Amino acid sequence: MARGTNTSTKHKGMSYTKFGYLFIAPFVVVYCLFSLYPLLTTFWYSGTFMQNTNAGFWGFSNREVYYDRYLDLTKVYASFDGGLEGQTGINTTDYKNMQAFFQTQNAADQYDPIDPEALQNIVENPDISQATRDKVQQVINTGDISYIASDSSVIDELVSWSANYVDLGIIVLDSLKGVNNAAIAAATVEESESDTEVTITAEDILGSDDYAAFLDTLQAGDFDEGQTLLVNYLAEYAGVDSLYDFFAAEDVSVESDVFYYICANLNSPNAVYTSADGETSIASISVPFMNDLTTYLNSNVWSTTVPAINSYSSFQGYIDGDIDLHSNQEQLYSDLAALDAMGLIVNKVKLVQSGDTLVQSSEVSQNVLAAMRQYIDSNYQSDPIKSRSSLAISSLRNYLDNGGRTRLTGYNIDVDSYITFNDDFDVSKYLAFKSLIGLGDVLTMDKYNELDAAMRQLYVDQARVDLETAQGKLPAAQQAYDAAVASGDADQIDSANNALARVVSDINKAEQTIKRPTGLLSKADATEEYLFVGLDNFEDIFQNKNRFNVVVGAFYTTAVMWVIGFIPQILLALLLSAWFTDTKLKLKGLNLMKALMYLPNVITAATIAIFFRRLFSFSTGQAASPVQLFLDAIGHERINFFINPWATRLIVCFINFWMWYGNTMIVLIAGITSISESLYESAQLDGANSFQTYTKITMPLLRPILLYTLVTSMIGGLQMYDIPYNLNQYPSLVAFNGTYIKSTQTVLMYVNQLAFGKSSIKQVGIASAVSVILFIVTTILSILIFFLMRDKDAAAAAKAKKLARKAGR
Amino acid sequence: MSSNDVKLRSKSGSIAAYSALVYVVVIFFAILAIIPFWYMFMNATWDTYSIQAGVKLWPNFGHIFSQLKANWAYLSNRSTFSFTLGFKNSAIITVSSTALTVYFSALTAYGLSVYDFKGRKLIFTIIVGVMMVPTAVNITGFYRLMGGMGLLGTRWPLILPAIAAPSTVFFIKQYLDTSLSKEIIEAARIDGAGEFYTFNRVCLPIMVPALATQGIFAFLGSWNNFFAPSILLTKQELKTLPLMVSMLYGDRYTDYGAIYIGLSASVFPIIIAYAFLQRYIIQGVAAGGVKE
Repeated sequence: MARGTNTSTKHKGMSYTKFGYLFIAPFVVVYCLFSLYPLLTTFWYSGTFMQNTNAGFWGFSNREVYYDRYLDLTKVYASFDGGLEGQTGINTTDYKNMQAFFQTQNAADQYDPIDPEALQNIVENPDISQATRDKVQQVINTGDISYIASDSSVIDELVSWSANYVDLGIIVLDSLKGVNNAAIAAATVEESESDTEVTITAEDILGSDDYAAFLDTLQAGDFDEGQTLLVNYLAEYAGVDSLYDFFAAEDVSVESDVFYYICANLNSPNAVYTSADGETSIASISVPFMNDLTTYLNSNVWSTTVPAINSYSSFQGYIDGDIDLHSNQEQLYSDLAALDAMGLIVNKVKLVQSGDTLVQSSEVSQNVLAAMRQYIDSNYQSDPIKSRSSLAISSLRNYLDNGGRTRLTGYNIDVDSYITFNDDFDVSKYLAFKSLIGLGDVLTMDKYNELDAAMRQLYVDQARVDLETAQGKLPAAQQAYDAAVASGDADQIDSANNALARVVSDINKAEQTIKRPTGLLSKADATEEYLFVGLDNFEDIFQNKNRFNVVVGAFYTTAVMWVIGFIPQILLALLLSAWFTDTKLKLKGLNLMKALMYLPNVITAATIAIFFRRLFSFSTGQAASPVQLFLDAIGHERINFFINPWATRLIVCFINFWMWYGNTMIVLIAGITSISESLYESAQLDGANSFQTYTKITMPLLRPILLYTLVTSMIGGLQMYDIPYNLNQYPSLVAFNGTYIKSTQTVLMYVNQLAFGKSSIKQVGIASAVSVILFIVTTILSILIFFLMRDKDAAAAAKAKKLARKAGR
Repeated sequence: MSSNDVKLRSKSGSIAAYSALVYVVVIFFAILAIIPFWYMFMNATWDTYSIQAGVKLWPNFGHIFSQLKANWAYLSNRSTFSFTLGFKNSAIITVSSTALTVYFSALTAYGLSVYDFKGRKLIFTIIVGVMMVPTAVNITGFYRLMGGMGLLGTRWPLILPAIAAPSTVFFIKQYLDTSLSKEIIEAARIDGAGEFYTFNRVCLPIMVPALATQGIFAFLGSWNNFFAPSILLTKQELKTLPLMVSMLYGDRYTDYGAIYIGLSASVFPIIIAYAFLQRYIIQGVAAGGVKE
């Protein structure tokens, strides 16, 4: 530690001080521009309505392109009675060209015919002729699809081979993808829609006519023997004389346990009824009710469907190959059965064995699981090269048939000059195209603003008229309703009520339009002036029960994963730092140990998370990850850590602990060594042992450093992202306060999902509001910790000083 | 006398036992810290089948290089993972942002330390204050700003903000306050050197120890950065190494040898650099904690 600067140079020339501003100018400018301004705009966005901003907008640096892409001129022309064509100078032909361009670009965005990794499998496939394989190799080498696109014999051979090749793995993977999408969609809807408190009964599901027919069926009892057994059994279970009585009772709701039990068993393809004389297998009964129930549950997201969705992370595992299809059959079957019971598996196929392969039968069967299982059990072995080449061929064919370059040329646009492939949109290419068709000077930002303002004005004017009309109707409707209530006629009340509701809804709609008129682009609100909605976003977070739970759940998850990691981290760091500075122990090689313990902290967190994913990954076959092999060795059954929310969270905690205790330890060691040696000496003279010196001298004086560690760790912990994201890219769901949340979703992951996620609607306003809450929570906690610990700290320091003085005497 | 001797011996004996215990614990944690990386490197030399059949804590003797080559070839064939591309992108972003951080932080710290201009204390207090602001909360505003400036789809959003690094400024200023003698500046002025000349040619060399330490941390921070790149870099040809590694998460046709060699390749350069620089890094961490 060098001494302070020489103070004799205080009289520095006044003319120099102004250079200070110059020296700090770059920092100040860049900080204000890249950190402060975004922070302030985030606050601003949290009060704006930006919910409908579309995906494409984010990728574009040019708003005009975005506007052009979603411009619906036909609508514009219609709104302005055709007078606009002359005004704008945009003629229909140019407009159609433009639309064609974007359609082409959309097709190009989907375009990925040459995936060398996939095509390589075709090259290695022994079933394909050498000539064809050579051509495919050419495609890989040159990246030019024309080697096979122009030669129909090549495509024909590939397609005919693929058509005759049946691979169970592909069939299963395809159906799993469908299931997975359905599950994700259901989970997403669950998040955004609030629960309805309405009681749902069998009548709601069927509609009154079908409901009567359904009851008739149940009463007539026209079932075969097995079904009758099942129906009787279920009636007995429900405590009624017959199922007819059960469903005819008016107060039976879908939420009822018995209702649910009956539905589950009616829907089960292999319900088992144990009679007095042994076990009898019963086929499912066929009543229209079951189909309707499935449809109903699918369209109205019902909270009990979500537990089945819980297994969707394991489906992702099958799809991305994390869980081997063959080594993990039991899990697969139970997952499939769970989702099947919830009606999420839509396209069922019957598989029939033909010779030594399995083929798809054209008839639809409920029996897919059983057939699949039987087949896998007996003799199925997938040939990886063949199954992969089959996939490659199908995507190749898709490309050539539908979305590819051959199709792009059909638009009479010079494809290579104007279209960008690989998911990116090249603005300059588009602008070149736009000027080519003569729209470069016409369709400008100013024109957009003009059209947009006119459009909004038009809608607002219309809404004002509507509002006036509706408000005029309101007293009459109210009067009619009051009169109907007074008369007591149920039908009259109903119709008066409906009429009144319609008027009220018209008023609301008009008010909404006046408040937030849709402009030129109904899909987006992407103008410069964002619609300021005050605290609406925060209201959405705090009023909408599901959203509130998801946000609070994200904070809870983050906090829990930080705290559980931090406690052992600070304890171990305290212990090790005490040992490392204990002069009595005279430990050797401490620098090396310190260096080793700090090592995890410098390694990329993403790498570490991916590594731990491998370490703990789950499978049931012989091949397994180290942790699963360890479980085998100690005779414990294998654990699927990533299905269990707490197991996953604890792994995250462990990684945090493991990466950070070295850091904390070094900071503490530095803190301890900076404590004056004389304090320890006098304590030693007084006969204090190591433990006493530690608790009486080290700990109190270390408090500021512990405070620093706690605050910095908390700020970092609340921003946790890399590890939970990379460890568990498809988290399982867990119930939190009545809503299902993702088990390891941290606050930043939620912000990322809202603002930059895969969904086509980017909820930027809400994401900003969550960011602002994160900012406020962090600030409050930092200040709170600081003040809570500062008082004690001052007191402790005074005490330590007194102690030292006493010891020194 | 003799009883005293025994007591002394037993005391030194208990200290020996105690330090043995301490050694056991310390060595356990030291091994725990490095075993995952060792395991990664070892697995990179095996084929998928062997990796799945058991825990491999030793290299694949006799086939080390051939298997490494095979795994590497398999990895290189992927469309989503390209080590050279990721390394190049990471290097470009990290080197340029580190250079900017170091130079402009030195400039700012020098300005704050040397010149007694009006508002200096306030600005320094603000810089210390913003060190505590969570950096990721402004991401939506930052993204839109970058969109507005036309910088999306480029590396600039990850490079330019490096000019303003509050904590680096703070640490360099602490260093300057204690280590830079104002006489040198006075002498340079008397010799007729301009202020920027003095900074660049006279004072910057004196600051090298502090700059090196802060440079290492800036480098590591940028190299390991994941959150911002994952949002800002969507083009495959711009992706950095951590983003590439993240792609190893799930692959339909899993080749574990390839995954481990990918992980190893992303860890290896850091470990090599760490082996040489660990002294400075640990000193830097220690200094960071005490100064606060």
